[in-house]
Amino acid sequence: MPRPEQNTITLTIDGREVQAPENSMLVDAAKLGDVEIPVFCYEPKLGGPVGACRMCLVEIEGIPKLQTGCSTPVKDGMVVNTQSERVKTAQEAVVEFLLINHPLDCPVCDKGGECPLQDITFGWGGGISRFVDPKRHFVKPLELSPTIAIDRERCILCYRCVRFSQDVAEDNQLVLLERGAHSFVSTFDGHPYVAPFSGNIVDLCPVGALTSRPYRFRARPWDIEDAGSVCTLCPAQCNVTLTVRDERVLRVQARDHPEVDDGWLCDRGRFAYPALGGSGNGAEGGARITEPLLRDGGELRVVSWERALTEAASALKRAGDRSAGIVGGGATGEEGLLLARLLREGLGSANVDSRSAGTLALSIHHALSDPRLQATVSDLEFAHAVLVLEADPISDAPILDLRLRKGVRRHGMKLLQASVADLRERPAELAAELGQAGQEIVILWAERLTAGPDGEGNARALLELAESLALEKVTGAGLLEIPAGANGRGLREAGVLPNAAAGLRESRETGLDTQGIAAALAEGELSALLLFEADLLQAVSPELAERALERATTVVAHATFLTDALRAHASVVLPAQAYAEKEGTIVHPDGRLQRLRPAVAHPGETRAGWQVITELAARLELDLEVLTASMASRQLFDAVPFYAGLTLDEIGGRGIRWQDRPAAGAYRAEVPA
Amino acid sequence: MSAKLLFAGIDEPGLNTLEVYRRRGGYESLAKALAMTPEEVLSQLEASGLRGRGGAGFQMGKKVSFLPKGSIDKYLVCNADESEPGTFKDRELMQKTPHLLIEGLVIAAFAAGASRSFIYIRGEYVLQADLLDAALAEARAAGYVGENILGSGFSLSLIVHRGAGAYICGEETGLLDSLEGKRGNPRLKPPFPANEGLYKGPTLINNVETLATVPTIIRMGGEAYAKIGTETSTGTKLVSVSGHVRKPGNYEIELGIPSREIIYDLAGGPPEGRSVKCWFPGGSSAPVLGGDELDVPYDFDSLAKAGSMLGSGAIIVVDDSTPILDVALKVAKFYRHESCGKCTPCREGTSWTVEMLERIDRGEATPMDLEIMASVQDHIIGNCLCVLGDAMAMPIGSMIVKFKDEFEAQMVQRHVDAPQAAGAVAP
Repeated sequence: MPRPEQNTITLTIDGREVQAPENSMLVDAAKLGDVEIPVFCYEPKLGGPVGACRMCLVEIEGIPKLQTGCSTPVKDGMVVNTQSERVKTAQEAVVEFLLINHPLDCPVCDKGGECPLQDITFGWGGGISRFVDPKRHFVKPLELSPTIAIDRERCILCYRCVRFSQDVAEDNQLVLLERGAHSFVSTFDGHPYVAPFSGNIVDLCPVGALTSRPYRFRARPWDIEDAGSVCTLCPAQCNVTLTVRDERVLRVQARDHPEVDDGWLCDRGRFAYPALGGSGNGAEGGARITEPLLRDGGELRVVSWERALTEAASALKRAGDRSAGIVGGGATGEEGLLLARLLREGLGSANVDSRSAGTLALSIHHALSDPRLQATVSDLEFAHAVLVLEADPISDAPILDLRLRKGVRRHGMKLLQASVADLRERPAELAAELGQAGQEIVILWAERLTAGPDGEGNARALLELAESLALEKVTGAGLLEIPAGANGRGLREAGVLPNAAAGLRESRETGLDTQGIAAALAEGELSALLLFEADLLQAVSPELAERALERATTVVAHATFLTDALRAHASVVLPAQAYAEKEGTIVHPDGRLQRLRPAVAHPGETRAGWQVITELAARLELDLEVLTASMASRQLFDAVPFYAGLTLDEIGGRGIRWQDRPAAGAYRAEVPA
Repeated sequence: MSAKLLFAGIDEPGLNTLEVYRRRGGYESLAKALAMTPEEVLSQLEASGLRGRGGAGFQMGKKVSFLPKGSIDKYLVCNADESEPGTFKDRELMQKTPHLLIEGLVIAAFAAGASRSFIYIRGEYVLQADLLDAALAEARAAGYVGENILGSGFSLSLIVHRGAGAYICGEETGLLDSLEGKRGNPRLKPPFPANEGLYKGPTLINNVETLATVPTIIRMGGEAYAKIGTETSTGTKLVSVSGHVRKPGNYEIELGIPSREIIYDLAGGPPEGRSVKCWFPGGSSAPVLGGDELDVPYDFDSLAKAGSMLGSGAIIVVDDSTPILDVALKVAKFYRHESCGKCTPCREGTSWTVEMLERIDRGEATPMDLEIMASVQDHIIGNCLCVLGDAMAMPIGSMIVKFKDEFEAQMVQRHVDAPQAAGAVAP
């Protein structure tokens, strides 16, 4: 269903005129006039208002009873009073009612200091309690799940968590049991709440009833600093706020971006952070590598940066054009660009790749990434129909699963799923089914569609389907690819492909792709491999990876963790940054450039990726002309014609789609032959 | 005095069967209605001035007219949950003359353009639901319900759905949620059921008695019906009288007669030697009126003017042998138990009120508690999601105002009587 149009109306709140979108809810409209109406249960992300907590009662001229601001759509000429004695009395009464059964032990509550109930009690409460009877008691705290603790005594029954489970994640696990003052949130039969998005209920809870077990009692709001960044654990690139205490990430929270994540976060993104911290030499397995390691007498031993870089550089130099580089999806565009330059200019090797799916003709890359054909994440929500093609959103880019559910539930979007076989064998049928729903059609496809010997044919079939539906001509329609790597799109655009230079321009020479590199190493045709935050075992078959690593003379790995393969085969291991430490840019699947910003300092001896590549290049007599992270970004923006003129400030905290900038005109749109 | 329209021949044996019902002129109104256009039927309903008999007293014809026009799927739901304490009139109607309800429902559905209908009957009414099912089977077989009713081209499906027993499922939107198979919680209004009700479709919800009155209106004509009763409370009303009266039961009265006539002349008044202390005019959620307010005419507006309401038409009489505290505690405990827990003032307010009343009962309260209790009732009224909170706060609030002295005296008395206060040692 297409996006609704909005008219602006004028209403009066507390004597001041406020301009607001017609039919927006009064509590939202009031904010536009700097008037805060307190709420607990209202959360538009969860769907329509429920009017349960009654905190937002206000007076509206012409209506005798007080109305809930959360559920009152504003109309032109409406006159609202949020400050009258009557409103004050009602709001104080609701606070008093809520506190009847709520423990008044804020100093020992983990939510204290960042608690909406605490804030609203101070702002709108009466200041005293007339309740002297015993409070309601529950056993507490209980494990709602391995990651979430529930304290039912603190619960004010706003149902946000239950609504999330039922109406957003649709896992239908959380329910309300009993009734009246005995109501409580639970799961069926007390089973643990295990679901891909369970952690969001901790962010949603307006009191200390639902807390993160890993974060519980680790810090107080005044001990911490928040740092905005972007999660690079998958291509969805959700915006996050990292809670930092003493240079350690202690918590990850969603940082609402309607065009990216809609304010949600998957449990992987939320709870994987303990892996970001720590330091060590990786010896104990799984731990972060924070010091350079060099193979010496069959063992990896800690060495100085100088030694590690020198050894790595001389080994690469020996290999020369018989070296290759593979860049993992977590690398930034800057790192990808610099690494590709190191290979191409420093070693004379065109063997550099960031995809594991195999080489695609450049013309196909051009067609697939054509700005006219690119759908956005919010298009998924408002499209008439979405085709999920050879993709599994819940594992490929989890947060998109919620967006698809939202589209179906709230906007009546028609959702179809198809495999590559459907695309090849019955494209006309698919097109007909999609076309029935309307013109705004988005095809959400995963990079694996283009893998293997049929990859190019599949890509052509996809482009033909898009053409038959005229997707490039319809606003709100298009293709959205889920790349295999988090920054898959950004790395391609930075030229980390065997057949393309930065900006998807033709490269002077065509090198081997990931599969080809592995095969050539296994055959002894290549001798050195540079793994930049990449795991060969995940890119090619384990047997081929094993043979390639075994046969390679030199394996230089830039990595955060020491895998078994690296422990067995790496010649030099250079400690890499985790995303919380990185500075640089990545590109969302829909073309949005987003900034990674360092939240914590580098642990141990870790250095920035751009710095490591630059120093390695210097030892190969190549001056990459990068002295700071922002110089690396500048170089990237200059190298990619359709990023031209971009600055880090322009990207800012919300990112910007390059297709929406004038420089997008520099994109070479070539129709595949 | 009593006027028999709904209850005409109510005690005739076998009236629950189609044969007897038809012999008494049953389903003639349906035939008459189907010969008219839906608009004509609707205009009769509007002319009758019939106000909903479930509790809110909203004009039935107007409610029907709120449904959107056109050929979209519309629903009619009959609220047979009859859960208001003291109310048992719908039970008698459904038990003794189920076809009257079915006939009225089909006519109303025709007027509203509804094609699917449900009777949501409270789970405890096992016998009545069985009888209704039997009557429905007869009506269906005779062509009064189903496809192309009486050859008119109008079709209506009707399902009797048994509730699982919660007061809140008598609240219209709670009923809809329950009917959809969900937890019976009231919904936020707007949207009103007329626009977005059952399965999000336009829905007309009416009480059993309201629908059962429809055949009479069609038979008599709306204007003739409107001449019965008062100008704004037309027609007759079934009143369930219970409590301290000698002849409790259902009585059909013409609206507007003095309440005293119902309590004393029809129901026989309180037992020998006792007097009316207070009475609930319209179920346990109506503010109580005192023994000195028996001459209030029994109709919607007069009762509202007296500070109470006609509600479901259930008069509960309390005589002077009962302490007001016990009445208040009984009422409050009922609403605490039945509060669904969705909105704050009702959930917390009902439970707090019970705790304060129990404290008085235990002899542990202070006069301040009475003030707090009164203000808690004020804080509940008008601030809740549905009317359940008000349904406790209005009667309790009225009791505190009308019987303040007695409450205070009882606080002292129960304190003196309490074993620990008197210093008594348990034997």
